[in-house]
Amino acid sequence: MTPLLQFVDVSFSYQQRRVLQAVSFCVEQGECGALIGPNGIGKTTLLRLAAGVLGCSRGTVSLAGRGLHTLGRREAARLVALVPQRFEVPFDFTVEQIVEQGRTPYLGLFAGFKRPDRHAVERALGLADVTSLRNRIFNELSGGERQRVKIALGLAQEPRLLLLDEPTQNLDLGRQLELLDSIRALNDEGVTILAAMHDLQLIPGTFSSVLLLEPDQEARKGSPHDILRPDILERAFDCPPRRHPKLVSENQVALEKTS
Amino acid sequence: METEIAEKIEPPASLRADRRIGFSDRALFILIMLALFVTLAVVLVFSAGMGATRIGVREVLGSLLHGHRSQGTDSVILFDIRLPRVLASALVGAALSVAGLLFQGLFRNPMADPYVIGSSGGAALGAGIGLFLLPSFSFLGFGATASMAFIGSVATIALVYWLARIGGRVPVVTLLLAGFAVSTMLSYSTYFLVVLDDNFGLRTRVLASWLTGVIAVPRWSQLEVTALMIGCGLIFCFPLARRLNTLALGEDYARQVGVQVERTHLAIILAGSLVTAAAVSLGGVISFVGLIVPHMARLVLGPDHVRLLPVTAIAGAIFLVLADTLARTVLAPSEIPVGLLTAFIGGPFFLYLLRRTRREYAL
Repeated sequence: MTPLLQFVDVSFSYQQRRVLQAVSFCVEQGECGALIGPNGIGKTTLLRLAAGVLGCSRGTVSLAGRGLHTLGRREAARLVALVPQRFEVPFDFTVEQIVEQGRTPYLGLFAGFKRPDRHAVERALGLADVTSLRNRIFNELSGGERQRVKIALGLAQEPRLLLLDEPTQNLDLGRQLELLDSIRALNDEGVTILAAMHDLQLIPGTFSSVLLLEPDQEARKGSPHDILRPDILERAFDCPPRRHPKLVSENQVALEKTS
Repeated sequence: METEIAEKIEPPASLRADRRIGFSDRALFILIMLALFVTLAVVLVFSAGMGATRIGVREVLGSLLHGHRSQGTDSVILFDIRLPRVLASALVGAALSVAGLLFQGLFRNPMADPYVIGSSGGAALGAGIGLFLLPSFSFLGFGATASMAFIGSVATIALVYWLARIGGRVPVVTLLLAGFAVSTMLSYSTYFLVVLDDNFGLRTRVLASWLTGVIAVPRWSQLEVTALMIGCGLIFCFPLARRLNTLALGEDYARQVGVQVERTHLAIILAGSLVTAAAVSLGGVISFVGLIVPHMARLVLGPDHVRLLPVTAIAGAIFLVLADTLARTVLAPSEIPVGLLTAFIGGPFFLYLLRRTRREYAL
């Protein structure tokens, strides 16, 4: 079976600064992957390459076996949706009006909303659990609610692959756990997920695989159990040993609980 | 895969409830549009009757129905002076308001307005250059002033867009500073043209009135040309309206869902410049109309550009017809430039908006 997302020797640089160097990995249909790595390693860049917002300078990115560069922008946007980290709306759009924008790849310049579009928006609102917020103004929502609306916006694209950039950032513990519940629920519905995660403690129990980017090393992918280990994390995140006594032990506990 | 999921989840019960809300929303929108059309008609007839020679509503309607200037001086006044001017102010108001809406969407910033960002100033300078240097030039039936106003407006917005954009965003500070600097340079360049023309002829007076914003009495042919420009601009805008909604969520997002961002920006700049140029060639630089009208419309209808566009156009027409009627009657027999009046209303309004968006420019 062809993987849903495949990177082969992908490199990317912003002008002079090289961010990603010969990255190769793949994400299978139905996976729930966490993308981790130290700050500035290129997690956001990798997600933007996967969404086709950026084009890679070398290598190929393929979606469902087809090169991303051969797909039109709209065609790609029906396969993959990226939920950005930063999302500012200057006007007072309601939640529903915002989520409707996710249908853009399906609408021509003149065509209006049709039944399938309505239906997709309803489904996205429901899956992200924001149906009750539909008439609220986006800018007046709390951080956790906004995050869920952003996910609904991505889901309205009816993508096969949903990319999330730091979905739990700036959320309190309770909202973080709620969001992880939503991610699990989405994955159970068959949406393949790749999420850049900052907080490693949230990974076990929700994500089925971890993709680790580290400086001067090849991208490494495995189960949370294989990647979230002291020796690997110490090197990847360049932290001195024994400054993180709780992190790994807690992960182990969580892992044991889930398995 | 996807279809399977779609079938598993039955159409939510809320769908019907939503339809009803959607419908009443649409009903409200249609009601507002109807009310605006009726108001515009009333305001046009009423304003055509106002002035030094008062013409009653019945006479105005009678002349309009008979359509000819056979009924003495009243009819001549009506057809040669009042109607062209009232229609001109309606066109200018609609054009400036729509241009404001387009530029606010382009810059994702509620402070943008053809006056604030200098596109009116660019159009005025272009029109001035056309009037002075290329009086016999014409392109597709558009005279030198209209064509050059268009070029001036496009060039100015392109410049401000280039100056004010930082990493795909346009902060309030850079937009206002770039707009201020550019429009100051432009208006003094236009003054320079006035100074150059030492015999203070008709052209100079036209130019000077453009700088304050006076709706002169246009010839019918001129009215037709500008109506055509504004009509084309508006038709061009409608497919852009939905794109403006998507662009409001950010350039990165728009690109992600398959919008050709640069091409769309160019289309917005061209459409906005076309209507601005038409407005300036009729009424000169009239400030803040493009700020007030879209803002009011947004308060009532929310930020959906598809609905804002027609509402803004008609509301803008009503607003400027009233403003111009006020400007020419309140201190009769002398006349206030309508640009002065809108500056009086719009200036404080601009400051109020600036205060409201303060958190965006607190660095």
